[in-house]
Amino acid sequence: MDGLPPAPDVAGTSLDGTKPFTISAEENATLCRSTGVEPAADGSAHPIYYYIATQVAMGKTVAGVCETCEFDVEDGPMMGSSGVRYSEPLLVGESYRVSGEILSLVRKQSRKLGVMDVLTYRLRLHKAGDGACVLETDNVWVLPRKELAA
Amino acid sequence: MTYAVGDALPPFTIHSVDPAAMKQWAVFLADPNPIHLDADVVKAKGLGDRVINQGPANVAYLINMLMAAFSGGRIEAMDTRFLDNVYGGDTVTACGTVTGVEDARVSCEFTLDVEGRGPVNSGTATILIRT
Repeated sequence: MDGLPPAPDVAGTSLDGTKPFTISAEENATLCRSTGVEPAADGSAHPIYYYIATQVAMGKTVAGVCETCEFDVEDGPMMGSSGVRYSEPLLVGESYRVSGEILSLVRKQSRKLGVMDVLTYRLRLHKAGDGACVLETDNVWVLPRKELAA
Repeated sequence: MTYAVGDALPPFTIHSVDPAAMKQWAVFLADPNPIHLDADVVKAKGLGDRVINQGPANVAYLINMLMAAFSGGRIEAMDTRFLDNVYGGDTVTACGTVTGVEDARVSCEFTLDVEGRGPVNSGTATILIRT
């Protein structure tokens, strides 16, 4: 963009996790009830675990992802969008691992937000046992760059 | 159960988004961001005067609406845009409409609406209705 420094070149940064994430029956039940429903009786976990499991078990914290983008998490990253493609349901008691990477960080000028970086990253959730991929999710975050405001 | 384009999906409502649930979600997400926990922090940041619900919790309400509407089905794909915040005490309603029916798949679009403020999330989903 004219007059603005480029966004940090972070595309390709690995977000592979190192520890498995297990969906416990107790936490799934608490989570379901916190959203106004009872847990499923068939052993499936709430589908929102697509987001929770990938965020918690990816290789960086939210603050760490922001730091990679040279953005202070205290400046308030905002969720822009989230998409998921499931291959199979998530199961209570199953352990999963995360792989993923940053796809892009694009600097933009917004009338509402001023200068901002749009971060897109992709995470996949794999069964810890056989490595089968059960879902892929793309998340977009908006990182407002107040320090670059005119 | 049969579905047709234009069918309205039964709404799912949370009558008062509970700040205590936000504390639980901070643990689920391993994310202690104080805007979800402390209204004074929200005020200090100029973001409002009540704690802000975690975005994924708003997505969970939408999922609950879809799972109730397509009982026995399975979400294959879902895309959600975040348009605005949900605050503690808000009344939110997830609602949707069928936009396509093809073999064993139903497509739909949806919104999450805050009473008095309008949509805060919007998106689309594809449901596999025969598993």
